Amino acid sequence: MSESILQMTNISKTFPGVKALDDVQLDIRKGEVHALIGENGAGKSTLIKILAGVYTPDPGAKFFFEGKEAEIKKPLDATMKGISIIYQDLSLFPNLTVAENIYIGRDSDKKAWTKVKWKEIKKIAVKALQDMEVDIDPNVPVEQLSIAQQQLVEIARAIAFDAKLIVMDEPTSSLSEGEVEKLYKIIEKLKSRGISVIFISHKLKELFKVSDRFTVLRDGKYIGTYEAADMDEPKLIQLMVGRNVTYEKNESTVQVGETIFKVDSLSKKGNFADISLEVKKGEVLGITGLVGSGRTELAQAIFGVNNPDEGSLELNGEKITVNSASDAVKKGIAYIPEARQTQGLVLEQSVINNMSLPVLKKLRNKLKLIDSKLEVSLAEQYVKSLDIRPALPKLPASNLSGGNQQKIVIGKWLATQPKVIIFDEPTNGIDIGAKTEIHKLIRRLANDGIGVIVISSELPEILAVSDRILVMRHGRISGELSVQEATQEKIMSFALQGQGSAKTPVVNTESGQVSQEV
Amino acid sequence: MKLSKESLLGLIAVGTIILMSFIAPGFLSSNNIDNFLFQLPEFGLLALGMMVVIITGGIDLSITYTAALSGVGVALMLTNGQPILLAIVVGISFGLLCGAFNGFIVSKIGVSPILVTLGTMVLFEGIILAITKGQSISGFGETYNLIGNGYYMGLFPLSIIIFVFFIVLTAILLNKTNWGRSVYMLGNNEIATLFSGVKNSRVLMKVYLYAGLLAAISAIIMTSRYNSVKVDLGSSYMLQSVAAAVLGGTNIQGGYGKVMGTVYAVVIFQTISNGLNLLGVHRAIVDVFFGAVLILVLTVNFFSDKWKKNKETKAVA
Amino acid sequence: MKSLIKQKEFSIFAIIVLLCIVLSFVSPVFLTVGNFLDIMEGNVVMAILAIGMTLIIITSDIDVSVAAVTTAVAVTIGSLFGHLPNSWVSVLLIFLIAPLVGLIIGCVNGLLVSRIKIPAIVVTLGTLNIINGLVLYFTNGQYLNSSNLPAAFISFANYELLGIPILIYLLTVVAVLTWYILKHTLIGRSVLAIGGKSQSAVRVGIDEKKIKMFVFAYMGFLAGVAAIAQTAYTKAVDPNGMLGLEMMVIAAVVLGGTNIQGGRGTIQGTLLGVLLLAIIENGMILAHIDTFWQKVVTGAIIVFAISYDRISYKRQQAKLTKIEVEA
Repeated sequence: MSESILQMTNISKTFPGVKALDDVQLDIRKGEVHALIGENGAGKSTLIKILAGVYTPDPGAKFFFEGKEAEIKKPLDATMKGISIIYQDLSLFPNLTVAENIYIGRDSDKKAWTKVKWKEIKKIAVKALQDMEVDIDPNVPVEQLSIAQQQLVEIARAIAFDAKLIVMDEPTSSLSEGEVEKLYKIIEKLKSRGISVIFISHKLKELFKVSDRFTVLRDGKYIGTYEAADMDEPKLIQLMVGRNVTYEKNESTVQVGETIFKVDSLSKKGNFADISLEVKKGEVLGITGLVGSGRTELAQAIFGVNNPDEGSLELNGEKITVNSASDAVKKGIAYIPEARQTQGLVLEQSVINNMSLPVLKKLRNKLKLIDSKLEVSLAEQYVKSLDIRPALPKLPASNLSGGNQQKIVIGKWLATQPKVIIFDEPTNGIDIGAKTEIHKLIRRLANDGIGVIVISSELPEILAVSDRILVMRHGRISGELSVQEATQEKIMSFALQGQGSAKTPVVNTESGQVSQEV
Repeated sequence: MKLSKESLLGLIAVGTIILMSFIAPGFLSSNNIDNFLFQLPEFGLLALGMMVVIITGGIDLSITYTAALSGVGVALMLTNGQPILLAIVVGISFGLLCGAFNGFIVSKIGVSPILVTLGTMVLFEGIILAITKGQSISGFGETYNLIGNGYYMGLFPLSIIIFVFFIVLTAILLNKTNWGRSVYMLGNNEIATLFSGVKNSRVLMKVYLYAGLLAAISAIIMTSRYNSVKVDLGSSYMLQSVAAAVLGGTNIQGGYGKVMGTVYAVVIFQTISNGLNLLGVHRAIVDVFFGAVLILVLTVNFFSDKWKKNKETKAVA
Repeated sequence: MKSLIKQKEFSIFAIIVLLCIVLSFVSPVFLTVGNFLDIMEGNVVMAILAIGMTLIIITSDIDVSVAAVTTAVAVTIGSLFGHLPNSWVSVLLIFLIAPLVGLIIGCVNGLLVSRIKIPAIVVTLGTLNIINGLVLYFTNGQYLNSSNLPAAFISFANYELLGIPILIYLLTVVAVLTWYILKHTLIGRSVLAIGGKSQSAVRVGIDEKKIKMFVFAYMGFLAGVAAIAQTAYTKAVDPNGMLGLEMMVIAAVVLGGTNIQGGRGTIQGTLLGVLLLAIIENGMILAHIDTFWQKVVTGAIIVFAISYDRISYKRQQAKLTKIEVEA
């Protein structure tokens, strides 16, 4: 079993402005499940894209596949060697049938006019699906399938290709518990056939369950490859982040004032149902739950960009209607979205333009024209108070690092002087230093009397910043805990089974402290 | 010192004018200068309208038919003996109506601007044909003809003054108002702009209304200058206005575009077309030239972007 | 989704039938075989172009230069006939040259779209202008009539098999060929694939540049074929005869259910779209409605079709459940 199927050495990749990978290596044995881990931005996906032939590495890179030196210059090279990549966002064609999706790519090196053998396509697809013991109709278009089924189609494609190595990028992020179990079984089956799997996930627990070995990347550099047997979670975390980092659980008892903001039985079909919550002066309300539990949908409904079917909002005792983001801004509700680069910022535009956008109306002179001086000074004020670096407000937002970009988004919303502010995954993909800063800022805002809601799937983060925690599951609030009584186990039990369930999953509080997605 | 894209274009414009005054006979004759100045505004106004739409990441293929329809509105009023002011108001309302129609389908229904304006282009053309039966309407009276042919204080063509007014207005609207800022932001990233509390659909609606307004103003100048209107009024300006906006530095994907860049590009195009005309080059070839310039500019942009990226990559490595 | 497309095709078909019933009351001439053959023959050019356009729109691009390319090829044919002997060989030769000329122009469009990455609308607007300018320059707008065309070509144009004009057979060949390509060849499936999700296409090793190149080149090729059909149908070469036809072509394709968001479209649907537009036009003539109103109707239909398509797309998206909310 110790025979290598894939060896990559001396892998570097330079993009305009960044060195994404710096002399990285990877060694995969035949029939093993190999976890590739590292924080966001560590270079995992770049490495995978190089393996896939989507990116060309910098000169000097070497590949060995099944002991022979190999060249992977385009996606087809990888496919032909038996390397299949299952990306997190999948590589399916919604308009084509399951069978064709399984087959596609197989003939990519053939002449354009090659006749498509429909019978063979069907046969191969049916066989691959049967191999996996899944019940999916090969004749329906993929867009009619659930995400979990679509993922199975991808795996079926890899099997149909006689893949020797399958890369799975965050395969469980959108699956339910039951579906995850099924996936584990399929991985076991692949292993027993001698197929190697590279498994990428943020869920450390899951990685220990399925993996034989780990390769750790940090900041585009190779840290090491380790046997799972010699490893435990704290050690792994330390390797990932480079130092032993722990968040302090929030132990402070705040003086809670009157209710600032109230949500009353908000519902939206296919999103969430019957949500009621209150945010009180001085406290931070944390909302957590599994991916797909409806947290973001709820936040966007409050912010007016995902209009609910029923329910009402109340601000400082007054009923308010929020039908658009513009209403929300007027009423004093701010939303810092999860997708910073696509929803939070106009990357191509300057820091100034980004910061002033929600408050342009207040920056006008008597002639109703934008007062540039006022605008610049506003931007400078927040650049300074939030310590945004580099402190050059005229720079396009795209030139700043993730943490600083997030500070621009925060700055732009503070400029609106909000009464309620919702943070959606505020530290996603941000380095540890900036994370701590943002956590402090969140606390300060609450102290200043702003109603603060923090949505996060990182339990340590939720425990570190919140005073009260709501857990969501399948679009409903399944539990409420004060931070004093809250533990990761309790939160997880609400997130998975709901209130009153006896079965509590084991979560290691000691180790689950960094970016462990629940 | 590094020149901005726009100042560089300004220099090129001056360069082409100097070049043409050397090689094209009679380029600097007062007759030709008049010609040049009287032709510039109608094209320039359409190009500005097109630019504003392109900044949002859209395109308005119906802009010249919007103009023609406004022209027909004016012509109908004038030939029926209505006062000039009323005729102009009707013409402008026609332009605004066309703009509102485009704006509604783009901003409220969410159809891509290419498709919408392809459709309305046929629709507006059809409406004009149905009204005019394919004939031209002419004879608008001396006073009206002054708009496109007259002088202010005996020196500046009136139409140039109108053009300058709209250059300044467009620049102020784009650079100094909420609407203008939103136009750029939305051109780069619609969702982030929406999530910042901007009412995108209103911004877009106003963009198409403004394009309709500029088309109508251009139509007033054209009808006054030609003293007649037909279905193809200004139709050759459609591609030219896209070309001028693109040559003027406007990003065809949206998010960037400066008034002065487009104005300089219009001057360059007008100079070259006027000069080639004087040199006896067939008009059709001038059209070919515009098409070629459009593609050439974008091709050069593509390669210079690629080159820049390569350089940056190397700088890091 | 398949059922939806089928529904879409069915609803166009239903509209056509309904229209036919109404028109048969308006004019007794309408429901005659002769009139139908006339309608079909008269729209062969549009149908051939629409078939090519279907592939382009499936890949979410657009080509507004089709009418200009067809004209350019027709003008080339016209001038070639001046140098060719009056024989069947000349007609055959034209069948080789015309598609080739179209193909070359299509390749230029394809190159600019796929390699230089200029948006298709801008590229084809540019080539539209260049071609129209050149055509005008070389022909001076001059019209060639049947006396300028060799008798062999005229007799080809008039040829009927089983009482059906030759051009209808030509269209049938083009339609079947394109249907076959789209349904049964690797490149046809790749066209649908990049239209469905171009990111996935890149990942499974489909060469997007090659496919884009292909659809534009094929469009050019069909424009060449359409030029022969146009010359045969009108027995003349008119440099201005097809101005604005590209709009009708795009309208027919969109009406036929091809989605501009890409990934969906069938040849059958497109043919139904062409037929619908053709019947409307024919009906308006038979009903003695002023020809100037035809454009209004066409424009209104295009605007309606694209808006309707978008609205139903949005509805369908809204229906997709994001989260299975517990009861």
